[in-house]
Amino acid sequence: MSASAQGSSNTSKAVTQPEVGADTAKDDQKPATSLEEDDEFEDFPAEDWEQEDTQLPGGTTHLWEESWDDDDTSEDFSAQLKEELKKVEAGK
Amino acid sequence: MDVCFDDFHRAISDQNGYALAATITPAAPPYDPGRLYVFVRNTSSFTLQTDLRYAIIYNANVHLSKAEGNAWVDIFAAYWKTAIAVLKAEEDTNQGKIAEWDVVYAAWKDTVNALIRAYTSGVLAAWTIPCLYVAGKYLRVFAIKADKQASAYNGSVKFNDGFQDDVVGAIGKNEKLEDAARQINRIFSLCIGDRAPLEESRKWGLYYITNLLFKTYFKLNSISLSKNIMRSLQASSTDMPPLSAFPKSHRVTFKYYAGVVYFLDEDYVQAEAYLDEARRLCHTSSKRNQELILTYLIPCHLLTTHTLPTPELLARYPRLQNLFGPLCRCIKKGDLAGFDEALSASEDEFVRRRIYLSMERGRDVTLRNLFRKVFLAGGYEPLKEGQEEKDRLRRTRVPIAEFAAALRLGMGLDREGEGLERDEVECMIANMIYKNLMKGYIARERGIVVLSKAGAFPGTGV
Repeated sequence: MSASAQGSSNTSKAVTQPEVGADTAKDDQKPATSLEEDDEFEDFPAEDWEQEDTQLPGGTTHLWEESWDDDDTSEDFSAQLKEELKKVEAGK
Repeated sequence: MDVCFDDFHRAISDQNGYALAATITPAAPPYDPGRLYVFVRNTSSFTLQTDLRYAIIYNANVHLSKAEGNAWVDIFAAYWKTAIAVLKAEEDTNQGKIAEWDVVYAAWKDTVNALIRAYTSGVLAAWTIPCLYVAGKYLRVFAIKADKQASAYNGSVKFNDGFQDDVVGAIGKNEKLEDAARQINRIFSLCIGDRAPLEESRKWGLYYITNLLFKTYFKLNSISLSKNIMRSLQASSTDMPPLSAFPKSHRVTFKYYAGVVYFLDEDYVQAEAYLDEARRLCHTSSKRNQELILTYLIPCHLLTTHTLPTPELLARYPRLQNLFGPLCRCIKKGDLAGFDEALSASEDEFVRRRIYLSMERGRDVTLRNLFRKVFLAGGYEPLKEGQEEKDRLRRTRVPIAEFAAALRLGMGLDREGEGLERDEVECMIANMIYKNLMKGYIARERGIVVLSKAGAFPGTGV
């Protein structure tokens, strides 16, 4: 129970924290399009669901890039770099 | 009146918590838009107590204990007043008048208090906890409406005040929501303090209530209070059912908010684990929630593993495509100028989502990719005797001048004389080495960087 008591005493402390006020004041200056609402995690249509309802269509698509190689441009870059080096040399 | 209580009696005899919670929900369900109206019109303040008594206690179909019956009479009496206030507020809104959501909030708070009293005195069983969900949920809903109303009203009165006064006036801006946070915290205590055996414990309501608190604290911009709640949960985790035993909606929401709290605390490894689990459990049709999870998971992943989302992933979410697409393309290409441009173009959005600082660190990855391209462009050392093609080594001694030239390209500096000092270039390389994005050392007197033969750019395949 002590944990929850701590929680509630902090709640009242937060009320007087100046930064809370400052932040909300900043919000005031923004246009009145209710930005906050659309940030909120939405309620789910159901309370619980089956494992198969968590699979995305095409669930095998990779989420993260596995390679940094950009085959189309690496040739270009090499040429550009040589060009640039020449310019720097010439400038000296 | 009896008609209104059919559902109530059925829920009680079926021990169906959600059906029971529906009977005290202060909003009419879509399939029965007149529900509150019918309930309000079925009695009057003069006969309310007697009517409720007859409908709840003296009903022949269900037998409630005296204490339980009395508790429900109290709850429904307060609920009746809430229903009146809700109907009036809706009517006022429809007529373009100022709706008194603070009155609704106060009435609902009374209902919640009656509920909490019933639990504290032990007359309501644990299967009824969905009633607490409804209690907390609508405290928040009504508090937000009341605060919005109040700030619109204050705004119209004080539109001429200076900024100084604005700051002072803004402190009370979330008055009702702050109160709601305290009330929901009481519900949290009610659940976490339940000592009944787990199978009939209110602890099964903890994650739902925690999620309500998270939503409330986030709106109040008070992340530290969210941490307190996480600590309380952690402290009693041994006496609680495991998170995996809770419904997925509770789990996903919890993992999302806790993940964001870790993220804001810059504990990216923990944040990634939480957010990734939220992503994996999220319902396929809740696209917006997937989007929100990824909004934090993508920067997390960029920081922990220095990898980017695939174009296919971004393509599925137009908003994320807008938010991260341009930046990711620049990071991949090593385009520093483009990166800075994309970062400042989305600055407001990044700041608002509190991911600006994390995205800014993507600049290191951009720089790494640019230097990596220099390394690749350097080609291979000539083959020595006896060496085969597959043993060929990349050139690992790269002149600093090449990095300097690449930086000029990456930063889009093309005019004569423009460029970085030699010291600056060395400093950037040293930074990359220090951050473990590049392996090697700078041989200053020879003007070259000697890169490691075994993985000059860790984790990138070269």
